[in-house]
Amino acid sequence: MIAQRVQLVVLAVAAIVVVAYLYLRLGDKAIQALPQAWGRRLTPYLFTGPAIVVLGMALVIPAGMTIVLSFFSADSSHFVGLDNYVATLSDAVTRIALRNTVLWVLLLPTGAVLVGLTIAVLTDRLRYGALIKAALFLPIAISAVAAGVIWTFMYDYQPAGAAQTGTLNALITTIPGVAPHAWIVDETTNNYALIASTLWTQAGFAMVIFAAALRSIPDELYEAARLDGASEWNVFRHITLPLLGPTVLVVATTMTIVALKAFDMIYVMTNGQYGTDVLSTVMYRFLFTAKDNGTAGAVATILMIAVIPVMIFNLRQYRRDSVESRDA
Amino acid sequence: MNIGRAGIATAAACLLAISACSSGTQPTEAISAPQAAIDAAKASALEVAGGKEIGGKVTMLGVLGGPELDAFNAVLAPFEEATGIDVQYEGTRDFAAILQTRVNGGNPPDMVSTPAIGEVSALAAKGDLENLRDVIGDDVLNANFSKSLLDTGSLNGELFGIFDQVNLGGLVWYDPKTYKGPTNPASWDELQQWARSEESAGTSPWCVGLESGAASGWPAADFIDEILLRQAGPEFHERWRNGQEPWTSQDVKTAFETYGATVAGKMAYGGTTTVLSTNFAKAANPMFTSPPGCYLNQQATFMGGIIMDSFPDLKAGTDLDFFPVPDFNPQFPGIRSISGEIIGVLTTTPQSAALAKYFATPEAATLIAATGRWLSPNTNVKPDAYADPFLKKASQVLADAKATQPLGNSLMAQTEVDAFWKAALDYTKNPDQLDAILANVESAK
Repeated sequence: MIAQRVQLVVLAVAAIVVVAYLYLRLGDKAIQALPQAWGRRLTPYLFTGPAIVVLGMALVIPAGMTIVLSFFSADSSHFVGLDNYVATLSDAVTRIALRNTVLWVLLLPTGAVLVGLTIAVLTDRLRYGALIKAALFLPIAISAVAAGVIWTFMYDYQPAGAAQTGTLNALITTIPGVAPHAWIVDETTNNYALIASTLWTQAGFAMVIFAAALRSIPDELYEAARLDGASEWNVFRHITLPLLGPTVLVVATTMTIVALKAFDMIYVMTNGQYGTDVLSTVMYRFLFTAKDNGTAGAVATILMIAVIPVMIFNLRQYRRDSVESRDA
Repeated sequence: MNIGRAGIATAAACLLAISACSSGTQPTEAISAPQAAIDAAKASALEVAGGKEIGGKVTMLGVLGGPELDAFNAVLAPFEEATGIDVQYEGTRDFAAILQTRVNGGNPPDMVSTPAIGEVSALAAKGDLENLRDVIGDDVLNANFSKSLLDTGSLNGELFGIFDQVNLGGLVWYDPKTYKGPTNPASWDELQQWARSEESAGTSPWCVGLESGAASGWPAADFIDEILLRQAGPEFHERWRNGQEPWTSQDVKTAFETYGATVAGKMAYGGTTTVLSTNFAKAANPMFTSPPGCYLNQQATFMGGIIMDSFPDLKAGTDLDFFPVPDFNPQFPGIRSISGEIIGVLTTTPQSAALAKYFATPEAATLIAATGRWLSPNTNVKPDAYADPFLKKASQVLADAKATQPLGNSLMAQTEVDAFWKAALDYTKNPDQLDAILANVESAK
């Protein structure tokens, strides 16, 4: 069984290499045979062709299909116009999900920038900084579902008086007069609790980006500032922060996308109960339990439209950065 | 709802994890049956196969994995040995989606085995399932199964599925050492009267936990389902689960309120916040603290095993026992609710027909009982086939039942079931909004 699979894998890898080689080799030959003007024009397409095909099949066509399906009925049999959109947007659950998605988009990027930047700056010149960074970075290697289970334990609730098995409640009940709190059931805290646990898995990523960016700030700038008698706060405020500006944007936009995609933690910890639904959990439920392709497609399309501005902003930023670095 | 359904939801979460939740499938000593029982199963397997080793294979799609699958394979082993038929069981937690895909793709499994009776019924409505009355024969079916079980697996007069394993719902688990209330109450009111006196004396009588990952709420939904069955009667219950009675009807409201009385105020350990935060598998834990936090846990047969897993030192019968939930309405006495897995045939081949017939034999059913995991739905299984003391007792309760009915939420479409689970949670949290909550479920139907 295993031997068979290994054989299959080796065969597949070999086939891919051979096909790729033949494609480039023969394609190149074919282009060379053409008049030079044509060859120049076609060469870029030869190299990007495979990527475009893969991208088209895995991304463009499914996205297009989703949009098309969102205008059709639950079983995709007949056209219903904008009915699915009207139905989702007038649904109380979807409205809660929209509210929560906004909450996620506001809080997760803010939190990730604050925590990531703070830790990165504070540990930058520490001898054991690397250790702290490693500890904060570790959660990123944990799958979201496992992290969800871990945080379910962290937020675990036992009635007042009983032994608190949840770490957070065990901590707060050591303060006299403080009662345990049902973090993920109580509607005043559950969304924040979910965002905080996602932040735990993402803050390490933000921190690493910030730490790398800090290293790229020339030491001379700091030296000059200190020689001029600038306080540490002023150095941070007027040198570090402005130079980290583009990095803050990168982290913030990446985290915005993470927030819009948030699903697995919520699915594991509350499954959208008690007012914790976000758009992706609503979409999942329409697709897999209600088997309603139309409405699920509509929610997916709404989510896609919400991501577009962030993506455009991100791309612009990226283009500007690459233009700057080329000019430099 | 049974534990298999809860498993589907939790394992759906596994699918999302990077690390797959794999389950080994090595057949082990998963069965404690005397050799005579195994030999008898082999003999009847040979008989249903027409007296000869016909060989070949049969594919079966199901939901089991891990030790449960080992137990199921142990039941299949005598059949495979006697007939030479290779049973290829494919266990998946994403049952409905995979079955649908394979049927649409023209590559259906020969047979299915699943707790999602509603899903199979929907396939049967499209004509994808064989009529087991033709495959197995009326005489054998009527001799081995109760009419109500056969009715549950029927649609428009055709039998699309027979139960191969069942869980008995509506048991009250308690610790005989600490529980001083009635163990054979004549009515639900008598039990609740004791419970209320206990509450006013300062201890919560009920241990309740509704958390179950993505399937949270099902323990309360199952209980409400059971109450409705036995309070409003089987006829109303059947109309309700078929969608002919609205969720907003007075009977459904009363069933919700009857359940609500077990979690209101201090009736349940820790109050509603604890009820909502506690996993169903840990619900009974406060029963064994000193002094006990609560005394009674309402759950199906499998709860005994779950409690014994958490407290391996307990002795069945002396430290943990159960009595059936008493009657809610003197008009409808002795009714019991079950959930379970049904077997259906999509493609009739000599092999699949033989396996379907095998599952209808008392000999195969005896092996199901010997796994110590499930009750057998077969009326010809002797009580001593059960090695597990709780199952033996439960089989007696089932045998004494005046009528057995399936839980409604194992037969409904998943959308409605989800709404039911959510309603159970919402009602536990906000009992004053029952009308709005039920109107919500009605609109999700």
